Amino acid sequence: MADIEIEIDGNVVKAKAGEMLIAVTDREGISVPRFCYHKKLSIAANCRMCLVDVEGAPKPQPACSTPINEGMKVHTQNEKAKASQKAVMEFLLINHPLDCPICDQGGECELQDVAMSYGSDVSRFTEGKRVVTDSDIGALIHTDMTRCIHCTRCVRFGSEIGGIMEMGGTGRGEDLKIEPFLKEGITSELSGNMIDVCPVGALTSKPFRYELRTWQMHSVANIARHDLVGSNIFTQTYKGKVKRIVARDNDGVNETWISDRDRFSYEGLAHENRLLKPQIKVDGQWKAVEWDKALEFAVRGLVNNALNADGGNKLGALASNTATLEEFHLLQKMLREVGSENMDYRLNVKDLDNVIDLESTIKLAVLEEVEYSLIIGSNLRLEQPMINHRLRKAVLAGASIDVINAMSFDFNYRTNSENIVAPDRTVVILAEVLKSILERSGAEIPEYLSTIKVDDVAKCIADKLLASNNSVIILGEHAINNPQAASIAKLIREIAQQTGAATLNVSATSNSIAAEMANFVPGQGGLNANAMLAADLSAYILLEVYPQYDFHDFVQAIESLDNKNTFVISMNSFKDKEVARYSDVMLPIASFYETSGSHINIEGVMQSFAAAVSAPSESKPAWKVLKVLADLLELPGFHYASSEQITSEISNQSHQYKVDDKAINITTKRGVSVIWQKSPYAIDVLSRHATALQVTKIGQMHSASMNKATAKKEEVKEGGQYLGVPVIITEKVADNCVFVNANQSTGGRA
Amino acid sequence: MISNKAKKQIDDWVAKYPTGRQSSAVMEALKIVQAENGNSLSAESIQAVANYLEMPSIAAAEVATFYENYNHKPVGKHTIRICHNISCMLNGADDLVSYLEKKLGVRTGQVTKDGLLNVKKVECLGACVGAPMFQIGDTYYENLTEKKIDDIVDNLK
Repeated sequence: MADIEIEIDGNVVKAKAGEMLIAVTDREGISVPRFCYHKKLSIAANCRMCLVDVEGAPKPQPACSTPINEGMKVHTQNEKAKASQKAVMEFLLINHPLDCPICDQGGECELQDVAMSYGSDVSRFTEGKRVVTDSDIGALIHTDMTRCIHCTRCVRFGSEIGGIMEMGGTGRGEDLKIEPFLKEGITSELSGNMIDVCPVGALTSKPFRYELRTWQMHSVANIARHDLVGSNIFTQTYKGKVKRIVARDNDGVNETWISDRDRFSYEGLAHENRLLKPQIKVDGQWKAVEWDKALEFAVRGLVNNALNADGGNKLGALASNTATLEEFHLLQKMLREVGSENMDYRLNVKDLDNVIDLESTIKLAVLEEVEYSLIIGSNLRLEQPMINHRLRKAVLAGASIDVINAMSFDFNYRTNSENIVAPDRTVVILAEVLKSILERSGAEIPEYLSTIKVDDVAKCIADKLLASNNSVIILGEHAINNPQAASIAKLIREIAQQTGAATLNVSATSNSIAAEMANFVPGQGGLNANAMLAADLSAYILLEVYPQYDFHDFVQAIESLDNKNTFVISMNSFKDKEVARYSDVMLPIASFYETSGSHINIEGVMQSFAAAVSAPSESKPAWKVLKVLADLLELPGFHYASSEQITSEISNQSHQYKVDDKAINITTKRGVSVIWQKSPYAIDVLSRHATALQVTKIGQMHSASMNKATAKKEEVKEGGQYLGVPVIITEKVADNCVFVNANQSTGGRA
Repeated sequence: MISNKAKKQIDDWVAKYPTGRQSSAVMEALKIVQAENGNSLSAESIQAVANYLEMPSIAAAEVATFYENYNHKPVGKHTIRICHNISCMLNGADDLVSYLEKKLGVRTGQVTKDGLLNVKKVECLGACVGAPMFQIGDTYYENLTEKKIDDIVDNLK
């Protein structure tokens, strides 16, 4: 990459023509002070802190916006450079309050650090300092705008990365203020990154306000498990508690950004609702007991209820998709050892004979290079913020996006066409697209496409897929309960094969890919989640299951589990009254960041993490609990001393996508369809307990949206209740369709 | 919020810029909407302009607060824009501002009770040769004295 040579401080340095000087000095480890420059944002050159002396230039030049030239001679440390930097520092400090002792940024403040090196001991400024009134911009970010030095990183973050320009600089000169419009607050799903980019204490974390000094905390590299990306983070801990989460750079995964869900969900860890003691149910009464008693009770229950009488086949296991790879592996191994194939993590799928089986064939970093993308059944921005961010970069570089959804969502980029159709139309459009592609290649049209008539929309999508060398089809969460889910996935695979498009399956989130890889799915003769609940099993092991949130039909699930003759072992990190109702023993387990384990992201990359803190009170990491349970059942092969041993046992396995040979079905049914999606900040138990996240605009997304005609059919009015959430009448939803965003599931309607 | 007439005027300005760059017309659009709303801009009208030009509200607000020819508070029928930059200042502009304030019984930025007048201090209007000066509407009044101000202001309707 080195094509030219320049001289910095007397040393010859190789670099690429056109690079900005600051990029070269950063790479070479030469320190140049800066505030407004950020490697992932556009160049503003408005703080002037990075002035350096370039030979031949009459005035000092800002390193951030000076492109390099062959033979350029730069001095970053000579008198002229130093004097300029000191002068700028003095100007920047004129209006900056000297409130470091009460400022949360103290200790990790770029201004403080640079002032130590470039500031003067005494201020020559005797006039009054400027004071700026703060605006309340929401539950996540605290503002102290008097401290702002107008670097505009937050403004540029909003318009360039967040995709919504929410902060701006109003007024001019002395009166310039960085603020949102109308005190509306900040609503972006990536807003917390503004805290990271702010070089001073103007924007700080609200939940973390006045908690601790940064040097008091211990930073542990970790992985966020809320979505399919596995963003790299630092969990910052103090006396065994997670106090804050900040982004950790990893260009292949999350660059330098993380979503608000990854950043603020840790608040849930300290929630009073944590399950902290093992409990057993004796004569219908809950009794807190020691671990050994509880485990003994659990094992006795398992043996007496299921294993002795029926062997393993009356035992079932259900797990949340947030479990770690190691937990999935141990649980499936344990069940298979006792002869049971009944296990599942797909609790929210209505018809498990009709599931999406589609591999993801594209790397996250490549996603930002695609030329065309077709998004099907996804509110991508809120479901997978970091994946959406990559796609947004592609759009800014000129990619074109088509959407097939049941409702029009706010994408933070321009879409080429949005096809808002009821779920039953999705399969038809895809069939049309496939037919159009086959017709053009002169291939034989299969029987099931013979009656399909290709319309213009499908033709246009087919055109683009054929014309583009680098396209991706993204299949989202809304398709999981589509009556034609399996056919949709098959059609997408077929279209991808015909056009060379990549596929991205974001229909199952969190750590679902790990569940598949650990083979935590029913094997030969085993029952899936729905079949188990219908089959009257005599014992269950439930891992982090919260029925009213996780099952598509929680009423039926609870009824089935709450059977007097069914012995239920629940391993949970939070208390839950439904769990308490049907369980016979409740074992407290570690939550996020309290256990070691692995996450597998959408690329299939396994990212292992250590526990940042130990689990509170008597709760234990689930892998340890499972290991001890297996030992007590006297099962062989569970002698693990650490979770890494479990990891190495599985890391050689790879999941094979097996395509069943069922025919593609394009018949459609009419009638009102309900699509249920958990609110973005309610997808797992930890997020649900994160108080600040819950009061944000996204956290408050509880509604049943439908158009006027559907509302009339369903006999509800705006503001009324539908499946327990308020009705919003909007023409953004397809006809005959209700889009429900709620924490709780709809009890079987969706 | 924006009348059809104003929309038409804005569209004429939008047409001067390349397609997709309609936000370039924001300054004129704000001016047009301001003229329609008693010569001042409310937050709602800024938002309406932003929505009409498909740009973020805060970006329109940045423009509207940057230039002093947009008003954010109600103004009188006539605005006396009095220069207080160097040439005018040396020729006694500050005294004239005080005189005006006393005469009208309002401070700069306030509107007279009858809603007729307000005084606004502005930066150089490029008429240093006739300093001190002020501007009312499109007219410059130069070489001001207290007597001359009485004549001009008393005749405003």
